[in-house]
Amino acid sequence: MNCLNDERLQALADGEGRDDDRAHAASCAACGARLRARTALMTSIETSLNPPVDLPASFRLKADGATRLRALPDTRRRWIYTAAAVAASLVAVLFVLPIVRTSDTTVSASEILAKSVTQLSAVRRGIEVMEYELVLGGVPKEMVPDQVDGTYRVWQAIDHDVPGRFRFASFTADGQAISSIAEDPIGKRRVAAFRSEGQAYRFDVTLPSGPRNLSLPEIEQLHMEASIAIMQASGNQLLETIDGPNGKLYRIEVPRLASPGSNPVWDLTEARVLIDSRDYSVVEFAVQGSFLKSPYSLSYKQIRHVVGASLPADAFTVPPQPGEIVVTGEGTAVPTHDIVVLALRALAQAKRAQ
Amino acid sequence: MQGSTEAARDLFQAHGTAIYRFAAVLVRHREDAEDVVQETFMKLLRHLEAGGDTTNLRGWLFTVAAHAARDRQRRRSRWIPWAPVHDAAVPPPVLDDEDGRIRSARAALRRLPDRDRLLLALRAQGLSYREIASAAAIQPASVGRLLARAADRWAAAASRNPASEQERKSDATGPRRSGARERA
Repeated sequence: MNCLNDERLQALADGEGRDDDRAHAASCAACGARLRARTALMTSIETSLNPPVDLPASFRLKADGATRLRALPDTRRRWIYTAAAVAASLVAVLFVLPIVRTSDTTVSASEILAKSVTQLSAVRRGIEVMEYELVLGGVPKEMVPDQVDGTYRVWQAIDHDVPGRFRFASFTADGQAISSIAEDPIGKRRVAAFRSEGQAYRFDVTLPSGPRNLSLPEIEQLHMEASIAIMQASGNQLLETIDGPNGKLYRIEVPRLASPGSNPVWDLTEARVLIDSRDYSVVEFAVQGSFLKSPYSLSYKQIRHVVGASLPADAFTVPPQPGEIVVTGEGTAVPTHDIVVLALRALAQAKRAQ
Repeated sequence: MQGSTEAARDLFQAHGTAIYRFAAVLVRHREDAEDVVQETFMKLLRHLEAGGDTTNLRGWLFTVAAHAARDRQRRRSRWIPWAPVHDAAVPPPVLDDEDGRIRSARAALRRLPDRDRLLLALRAQGLSYREIASAAAIQPASVGRLLARAADRWAAAASRNPASEQERKSDATGPRRSGARERA
């Protein structure tokens, strides 16, 4: 008899082989060694693919409960009025787990998103302080005017009692200060400070009279609100609850909300949000999409959030930097425009002075 | 119909855990594995009530479970991969895996073609060649040959790369889910 091929050897290892093949393996040293090796391999695979996990206890408990109910005569009579009732009871008892599993979170993804938007847009009082990580990729300057692509750690304070009063400071991931901007609508001043090629600059401008434009934190918040509202409108949400460090979190994902480029102004192609179940605040938020047909991505991860914070008096003041060049002038509603115009003006003045 | 429910209950007690383990290595999310079990036994109940074939119910159960697991994986795979930076921020929920065996098993399976995964997972649950052929929709005479190849590819993959760093990272435990999930 010829030696066994792999197929017949496999069948022997799986206990499905023919008797004459098994007899051959017993008498042929080479095939016997191959069979032992193949059997060891299959044992290893079967051990790996048969992990020691059991059905959740609630699944099993419900099944046991069914058995116990049927063991009691009175109970049994109640449960066997009709065959349909029995079938229904089995479905209810055996497979009640998924229903129970969701009973503590009966809100839908859409409802959670709606509550989150409501929470975001709620009128607040006092001072709100936030620290968060911001990851930007291709974000247009219409959305986040003073940031380029990268990962930032942001600190911002908003005085809700004085509309438009805020301070926003950004840092590199390792804590180096990048920029800081503060607006004071009462004092009608905006101060923006940053470093470029090692040189510190400070632009101190007066705010224009008339209705104020949206502040930087307000623009970011509106972007988040609008994105979540679009997620809410989507019929394709996936909702999960996960355990966070401070309690339950809702994790909602929406894949491909619109075909790329279908909206020339703003498309979201993918979005994900993590919401604190206690107050529906946004803990993490990430979107990919396009704005004016340019692809962008934005990711926000909350580090600290305090409403009604108590801050020192100078918290809304941009601190001076050593050796900074100070440029003053009249500001407009667009901070980046002010910086360019005032810098060019200062350059021209310096040239004339020479 | 009462007989159907009793039979379904008995089959659930006999094979529920095996179906769950089978699903656990084929799908990534614990709730998906639970859903596979639920869907499989719901279909079993309807199958029995409708007077379906009962000659090979164990094989039938794994066939339904294999299809349910495949459907869930396809649904997941239709999702666009997220940017790595975002994945680092919000890791996906994973199966409970105290000793890491599910993670290792899934990592090994990911390196194999779909059919190999299914065949090995079915074999790991002790299904006969006839049952495997039924569940995987292949000829019974081909099972041994295909299983041999699948096992060889498993061995080759395992010796080449036990489990890449990327796979370990992708399965790294994040916030543990509480067990609730809804399709909105």
